[in-house]
Amino acid sequence: MENIYVTIGLEVHCQLLTRAKMFCRCSTDYIGKTPNTLVCPVCMGLPGALPVLNRKALELAIKTALALQCEILPEVVFHRKNYFYPDLPKGYQISQYDFPIGVRGVLEFTLQGVKKRVRIRRVHVEEDAGKLVHEGPDLRGAVSGVDFNRAGIPLVEIVTEPDLHSPEEAKECLVMLRSIVRYLGVSDGNMEEGSLRCDANVSVSLSPEMPGTKVEIKNMNSFRSVFRALSYEVERQTELLRAGKTPVQETRHWDEVRQVTVPSRGKEEAEDYRYFPDPDLLPFCIPPEMLQEIQATIPELPLQKKERFMREYELPEPEAYILAQDRDLAEFFEACVREFPSPRAVCNFILTEVLKNLNSLNIGIRESKVTPSMLAELLKMVERREIGISLAKGIFEEMFRTGMGARDVMLKKGISFLTSERDLEKVVREVIEKNPQSVADYLRGKEKALHFLIGQVMRATKGQASPEVVKNLLLRELSGGE
Amino acid sequence: MHARVSFEEIRKIAHLAKLSFSEEEFSRFFQDISDIIAHFEKLNELQLEGVSPTSHISWSDPPMNTDEPVEWQGSDLVLQYAPRVEGRYFIVPKVVEKEEKPS
Ligand SMILES: [Zn+2]
Repeated sequence: MENIYVTIGLEVHCQLLTRAKMFCRCSTDYIGKTPNTLVCPVCMGLPGALPVLNRKALELAIKTALALQCEILPEVVFHRKNYFYPDLPKGYQISQYDFPIGVRGVLEFTLQGVKKRVRIRRVHVEEDAGKLVHEGPDLRGAVSGVDFNRAGIPLVEIVTEPDLHSPEEAKECLVMLRSIVRYLGVSDGNMEEGSLRCDANVSVSLSPEMPGTKVEIKNMNSFRSVFRALSYEVERQTELLRAGKTPVQETRHWDEVRQVTVPSRGKEEAEDYRYFPDPDLLPFCIPPEMLQEIQATIPELPLQKKERFMREYELPEPEAYILAQDRDLAEFFEACVREFPSPRAVCNFILTEVLKNLNSLNIGIRESKVTPSMLAELLKMVERREIGISLAKGIFEEMFRTGMGARDVMLKKGISFLTSERDLEKVVREVIEKNPQSVADYLRGKEKALHFLIGQVMRATKGQASPEVVKNLLLRELSGGE
Repeated sequence: MHARVSFEEIRKIAHLAKLSFSEEEFSRFFQDISDIIAHFEKLNELQLEGVSPTSHISWSDPPMNTDEPVEWQGSDLVLQYAPRVEGRYFIVPKVVEKEEKPS
């Protein structure tokens, strides 16, 4: 079977985390809100309304472009992109054309430990459209409903060069991009809620010299569907090529139910947007001090953090990579290590137990009830051998569910509090006092006497102490303490 | 000066703008637009080599909004004036999903 050459480029839209919309002051908090309540003459395109740029939207877009190592163009220019669609109230979208915020950037990520580098073609800012609803109690007959609550929310569009060569790479690149926008606090990057959207260009060729046909894929609403849609599309184009046919240059939709891509009903002139500079918005120069101020707000980014974790905590690359992808999780890890300085143990527990519990509720570490100190306390108990690791996992689940500390969980669950070291010491001393004969026997070299003493302690603690800890404590006491 | 616009371009622009005209109107637009373009071609008489196009005069400190939401009270009124409303939705003829939509 001959080689296939896959070329993929991504076009990603992220809603910017502003409180007000891009050109008016309506709230952006639109999810679950009554339709057409977060609207005004500007975002509904009423005659005579004039847009005024939200400074924060511009700052967040510049921050994104800077973090992607783009060249920032000195002038901010807005264009009108003209097309008719019912969710676009003005008949045009305010966007950017030949003067995007940033150009020629770079995004790096790793796939199975191998570093990949994708060039960023451009980063620009534009306004979101409204939302169309096709079914609901209010909609009878062949109609659609339009809700403009989302119209005018600022978006940053990030376009990569076609530097990706497999669906795995494309997905991993998108994961890194989401991680970066979350690190920056410019977007919450939630694909399911539509605050991060991804389109892709895919072409397949049987020889590296011959470029394939570019097919655009839309409607991928999760990371999994990005991977599946691209895999399907690569497969589809490969089969066509092997049958001696050429794929058609077109736009296709990912059908989540049928798990296939289908051609969109396109219009031939759909690409003719007749861009022209928006006469309502004056171009202006970005003051250099504004760039410096924004640059100063860019935090350590995922790859830098990963490398620091490998250096500072001696974590293996895959573990450091997973931790560093999620800023909150990485910060949780570091806070925990400050109180319990065994980075490997903390990392392992986070990547297994903590993630397992978070994923089961589909929440982030920030929304969980467990604090870094609480996890540190639990891990200290494991280290002191007061509890075994499997008991610790169970206790953690309960801590996660209830927000109680490890010791409180043990108390409530009747897991003996005696197993704590200090209480155990007390029991050990009592057992020693009550059994002078056995002590004397042991001191005369009778190993069996020690086992008897251990058994006595285990009985006093109803079997909930670790025999090994008990043995160590007994030995310590019998040898006159440390 | 020779105006560089074709009859077909006029038709295409009308189509993109969802406007329909009679043949007579098309002829008139063709003439008018040709004249307008011819008028602007006068600019080509100037030496503009190396001068970048200016759509506006750049502003160094344009007015910008702060990121503080303000509620607008008039949405009920807008819905009241809309041709068709159900619940709080503006109603349009059924939009076929999967129809190509720019992004
Ligand atoms: Zn508004």
